Amino acid sequence: MKSLFQRLPRTPLLVALLVIAPAITARAQDPKIQLAHLDRLAAKANETVDVNIDERLIQLTIKLFDDKDEDEAKIKKLVQGLKGIYVKNFEFDNDNEYSTADVDSIRSQLREPSWTRLLNVTSKREGNVEVYLSMSGSQINGLAVISAEPRELTVVNLVGPVDLEKLSKLEGNLGIPDLGVGPVKSKTKNEQ
Amino acid sequence: MNEEYLWDKSGEPDPEIQQLEQILGTLRYQPKSLELPNDIQPVRRNRYLPLLAIAATVLVALLAGILWFSLQNRHKNQPQQVFLPPQPSVTPTPPSPDIENKEKLVRSPTPNRHRELVAHNSSRRTRSVPATPSKEALLVKEQLMTALRLASEKLNLAQRKAQGPTPNQIRNQHKVG
Repeated sequence: MKSLFQRLPRTPLLVALLVIAPAITARAQDPKIQLAHLDRLAAKANETVDVNIDERLIQLTIKLFDDKDEDEAKIKKLVQGLKGIYVKNFEFDNDNEYSTADVDSIRSQLREPSWTRLLNVTSKREGNVEVYLSMSGSQINGLAVISAEPRELTVVNLVGPVDLEKLSKLEGNLGIPDLGVGPVKSKTKNEQ
Repeated sequence: MNEEYLWDKSGEPDPEIQQLEQILGTLRYQPKSLELPNDIQPVRRNRYLPLLAIAATVLVALLAGILWFSLQNRHKNQPQQVFLPPQPSVTPTPPSPDIENKEKLVRSPTPNRHRELVAHNSSRRTRSVPATPSKEALLVKEQLMTALRLASEKLNLAQRKAQGPTPNQIRNQHKVG
């Protein structure tokens, strides 16, 4: 007697597709950007900042924030919903130490339908700054910032529900400068 | 039949009984030593065998006891490994109200067995748990602050570049002019 797989040679393929497809889709919708390929720039950079904080570490760190301290309480509120904070910052001594391909590899990940480019400022002299938001329905579930200056490359990726209002309230707290994120949002929408 | 002869062999003997005595007399007890055949040799029992059996029993009991104690100790140690690392009270940072409440929870006597075990281990906590996890947590906090600072800086930069000079700057220019 022939088994089901012998009778239907396409069945294993269909089963494999059914198993793999949701995984691929989930990965495509994951607002975490792959930044590992930028690590090679650390050898050329004068100064490097590499921050990889996953959800477990965030939860561990949240306990260290003092609720009595107003500033720390604000940061705690902002951070406690996040699932990951990933930052790579390279400062170089000379211009053009990184290639456009390095930046394009990140941009290509942000072309997924879940990502929306909120802001793009291009300057030949000062470099480009791009701000992307990942949306799940009407909720923000990821933020990405690419700042490509002649001697500095910075990529910021916040995974999870980023509350821009709370982020804007961090202005001036614990050395965090005035952001003014709210006006940026409205302005850019008009611009786009 | 003469009953007296039958009873204690007194009086006149009864020929029938005498005949029976002669027949059965061949089977009477004859005191002589037992002679065993040469091919049969008695098996000598080892007199140390009972001692060995007792020693083996004691050894098995000891091993079982050691195994039981080790299992008990491992079971007691488990809550410390599972619950202590995330305990914020281990860190040397100033205790927050949240942490204080948690410590109260741990110290309060409850019928829950888990909590009792944690309370047991709290005495060891000061000795055995090193301050390393708290250092790591502080390092992560520092990294988190750095990441937020960079994120906000770059957002601020994007805003400035998108908007050009801020209204405050324009206002100040008017004042100066």
